[in-house]
Amino acid sequence: MDFGILSIIIFLPMFVAFTTLILPFGAKGTRNAAFLTSIVIFALVSSVYYNFELTGFLQFREHYTWISSYGINYSLGIDGFSLIILMLIATLIPSAYLWLWEGRTKGYWISMLLIQTGITGTLFSQDLILFYFFWEAMLLPVFMIIGMFGTGNRVFSTIKVTVFTIMGSLFMLISILYLGVSFFNEYGFWSFSLNDIVQINNLTRTEEIWLFFGFMIAFAIKIPLFPFHTWLLQTYSNSPTGGVFLLSSIMAKLGVYGIVRFVMPIFPELYKEFAPIFVWIGIFGLIYFGIAAMMQVNIKKMFAYSSASHLGFIVTGIFSLNVFGMTGAAFLIIAHAMATGGLFLLVGKMEYDLGIKAIPALGGIAKKAPIFTVFFGIMLLCIVGLPGTNGFVSEFLIILGAFGFSPTAGIVSAFTVLIAASFMLWMFQRAILSDSGNDVSKMTDLNKKEILGMLPLAFLIIAMGIYPDWFFYKIEPTIQHYLLDILQIRN
Amino acid sequence: MDNFLLAWIVLVPLLSSLILGTMYLYSIKVTKIPNIVFSMFALTAPFISFVLGVSFFFRLLENSDVIIYRAYKWLSVDGYDIDMGFMADQLSIFMVLFITFVGGLIHIYASGYMKDDDGYGKFFFYFNLFLASMLLLVLANSPIIMFIGWEGVGVCSYLLISYYYQDSENVKAGNKAFIANRVGDLGFIIAMITMFYYAGSNGFDYINLELGMANVPVEVLSFIGLALLIGAIGKSAQIPLFVWLPDAMAGPTPVSALIHAATMVTAGVYMVARFHFLYDMIPNVGLFIAYIGAFSALFAAIIATKQTDIKKILAYSTMSQLGYMFIAVGLGGYSAGIFHVFTHAFFKALLFMGAGAVIVALHHEQNIFKMGGMRRKTPLVYFTMLIATLAIAGIPPFAGFFSKDEILLTAFGSGEYFIWIIGVITAVLTAYYMFRLLFVVFHGSNYKENRELHSLSKNMTMPLVILAIGSILAGFIGVPLLLGGQNYIGIWLEILNSKALHVEHSIELYLMGLNILAAVIGLLIAYKKFFNYDMSKVPEYTGLIWNKFYIDEIYDRIFVDKLKKLSIFISYKLDINFIDKIVMGISNGFIRSGNVVARLQSANTRMYAFSMLMGISVISTYLIIVMR
Repeated sequence: MDFGILSIIIFLPMFVAFTTLILPFGAKGTRNAAFLTSIVIFALVSSVYYNFELTGFLQFREHYTWISSYGINYSLGIDGFSLIILMLIATLIPSAYLWLWEGRTKGYWISMLLIQTGITGTLFSQDLILFYFFWEAMLLPVFMIIGMFGTGNRVFSTIKVTVFTIMGSLFMLISILYLGVSFFNEYGFWSFSLNDIVQINNLTRTEEIWLFFGFMIAFAIKIPLFPFHTWLLQTYSNSPTGGVFLLSSIMAKLGVYGIVRFVMPIFPELYKEFAPIFVWIGIFGLIYFGIAAMMQVNIKKMFAYSSASHLGFIVTGIFSLNVFGMTGAAFLIIAHAMATGGLFLLVGKMEYDLGIKAIPALGGIAKKAPIFTVFFGIMLLCIVGLPGTNGFVSEFLIILGAFGFSPTAGIVSAFTVLIAASFMLWMFQRAILSDSGNDVSKMTDLNKKEILGMLPLAFLIIAMGIYPDWFFYKIEPTIQHYLLDILQIRN
Repeated sequence: MDNFLLAWIVLVPLLSSLILGTMYLYSIKVTKIPNIVFSMFALTAPFISFVLGVSFFFRLLENSDVIIYRAYKWLSVDGYDIDMGFMADQLSIFMVLFITFVGGLIHIYASGYMKDDDGYGKFFFYFNLFLASMLLLVLANSPIIMFIGWEGVGVCSYLLISYYYQDSENVKAGNKAFIANRVGDLGFIIAMITMFYYAGSNGFDYINLELGMANVPVEVLSFIGLALLIGAIGKSAQIPLFVWLPDAMAGPTPVSALIHAATMVTAGVYMVARFHFLYDMIPNVGLFIAYIGAFSALFAAIIATKQTDIKKILAYSTMSQLGYMFIAVGLGGYSAGIFHVFTHAFFKALLFMGAGAVIVALHHEQNIFKMGGMRRKTPLVYFTMLIATLAIAGIPPFAGFFSKDEILLTAFGSGEYFIWIIGVITAVLTAYYMFRLLFVVFHGSNYKENRELHSLSKNMTMPLVILAIGSILAGFIGVPLLLGGQNYIGIWLEILNSKALHVEHSIELYLMGLNILAAVIGLLIAYKKFFNYDMSKVPEYTGLIWNKFYIDEIYDRIFVDKLKKLSIFISYKLDINFIDKIVMGISNGFIRSGNVVARLQSANTRMYAFSMLMGISVISTYLIIVMR
């Protein structure tokens, strides 16, 4: 069985993880191996990106029968939507590693490597069982990281996030199995391949609705959508930097990805029918979480709410049923991952140096750490959606999309320009700029590695804001394919 | 031809700012870079942009066709292209000329004003970034590119207002400016999106939008016009979004001169003039704009009469003068509005810079009643400030007279007598509070006779002289025909199709006389009350006007407090006690039925993670076998 490039991208980190586990690598050795791996993967992903053709169909396909009697296949492939998320992941991970460089244990690095395998596996899977397998495999090491390396009431956090996730996962698993059985009943053989599952015709409307929400609950928890967000605060606040970075900038986006990859093609009619619900849940979340963020004292909790606010907006975009909203959502996935990821790394450093998460106990950081402040400012302006950053391009497109869906939705969603600005600037004033007499003398400015890690994020935020089209053309055919072929919407 | 140079008008200050920013970080982290190096990069930028602007001015003089340069395809979705495009027409180039000219002078002034500041490089980094944004705003060929500049201006003003960021009050002022501007931006975005769907099918640049709007129902056009207006009000500090402007004086004085007088706040007026094709079709909305302008003008003038902080007086006078500009553009007198933008840029920059010079000389004293007698100490500043005050008060032949006269004529000629009366009353007040400032600061008996004055460098005084000359001459580009002049500005801005006025010459002459009379009345009252003011007693102001009609407090009560309460309710009550309980309750029930609850509550994370995986595997296997 010769593996294709996607398989290498998936399994290289796992291979490195097991190798370092067995061989007598220390923490440093494991870290260096992990970093090297992430660079190699970045190179591989770049070549995939470069060779990706401008169509909306799956590319780089790999298909092997795994468990033939149950029709479970090892089936991989990517389209434009997965491609940009892949590129995002490949860019973010080496940056994060540079930030996590010092003071982590061997177990931490092995967990990180395994997470990377889980994430890319989830992203490439074109078989429902395989997807489910990677989806769970990705979560396990995250819980390990939070449980073992987190702060505060971390056991509670872990249990809570797990209880939520297990609930969602079970709904999804039952839905997947139900779909498999239905396929068997209709066609007489087993298959969980997405290509086959979408051919099912024998479901009643009630069955379809149940299954639709079975998937949606799993993804809604992961994203999180209102009202499944309450696990978020504890978890983000108590997670170690690496964990919260992965959760916020990558895994939350995989929830959105799951909706687009599976829910949309399997239930295209319901997707259209229920779109208004999700457009409005998204907009509601945008405003609700935005307001909730304002008075948060804990800076990580504030970012958790801020994150949820934007993810709601992404969901609005993908359910807007037009090309503007959906491309905007794809763009916001990237923009938000870079900015939030960057912010969590920066805040993680602040927490590490000072041991403080409370905004009123901070202040005067700008004077101590100017380079830190510059990067913080860039990420913040991206979240705020300032033109010249990719945050603006994506927000503008989603508002356009929402307006195309319904003018009321468009006008209400335009309030996004006020929401993030209000709490972000206030936080920036109190936590970073103003000197409030707190002792922040232990705060250090960024070192060379940290600058190196932050530069690609800052560069992309601005480059994608000034020249968005250069990043757009790869994904647009895919979105057109979704709309024209899958959802059958003609403009 | 050389159309790409249009982009360089924006790029030069942008590149200069990026270089300055990098150099600044290098300077604080590695080795100190002397100020002169920063100055070199900083001061050349507006100069080069000005020269480029002049070259385009002459091209337009030869051939009046619009010059467009499309740098690249900014965004292309669904076959719909939006270019990073620049447009030079009579309006945009006119704006470029005085922005870069006045901006350049303020740069020179700032190089003196800021010379002892640690953040010299950072200051000019922001300054040139601001300049680049403003130029992009003006030169953009579509609303969305304009919006990039528009917001850039907003964020730079935030950075510059909170320049002394260690004091939280300054940052609060910056936040306020940013948020108030963002409320405006909300309107701008809604307007853009509505335009996009209703009028943008052929393209999103101004030329295509103008064509596209021909068939749009008037209700939609009114909606767009009103939403855009919110944006304009936010930027130009008109009622009800003006609260940020007085607080914005927290920034260094050159910032006030550049942003809050000569450039940024005029963006709203520019926007209305730029969308003249829209507002021509919806005169009712235009009238609404004029009323907002009139009330803002009067309101700000009233507050200004009782302020004691020299910069706040000027801030309110800016708001008041902007009100005049809104009257003009609202009533279709676009060229009159832009004319006042132009003359105002000179005398207001001069007023701020003069005020800054006094403030520096008196070691950062800003209360006018603690100044006094500055005429003898700083004669040059006095003389130039006098010219600026005469100009803003509307005394002929100084610059403000001609532009203000044209605006009031527009109001009268349009039959909007109520607006016209407000305009005249405001003119009286303007002359009053400006001469009050001048008399108290420069004539009043010395507050403290023997204090040491901080010396003023040439960099700070030379721009004052140039701007004083400008404040004398700038009005002559729009001398009414009545006085045997030629309204060059009206001719140059012909493309805006400003409303033609039909007022009889005799009436026009009467009106002109009345305007002069109004200014003189204001001057005389100020003379009587403040010319020989006894500086030993600082007046105690109280009451409604001194407290700015309590607008800030009202906003705090209505919006800020409510929002904070709601935020606390959501994040500390609703989420924790209600939503979490429900969702957790359901999920606990769900898991309990799965019969793994004993293990789950063992609180052993690793055990737990393991059992989760096992549980899922077992359930999967079970289901697969059962369903076989």
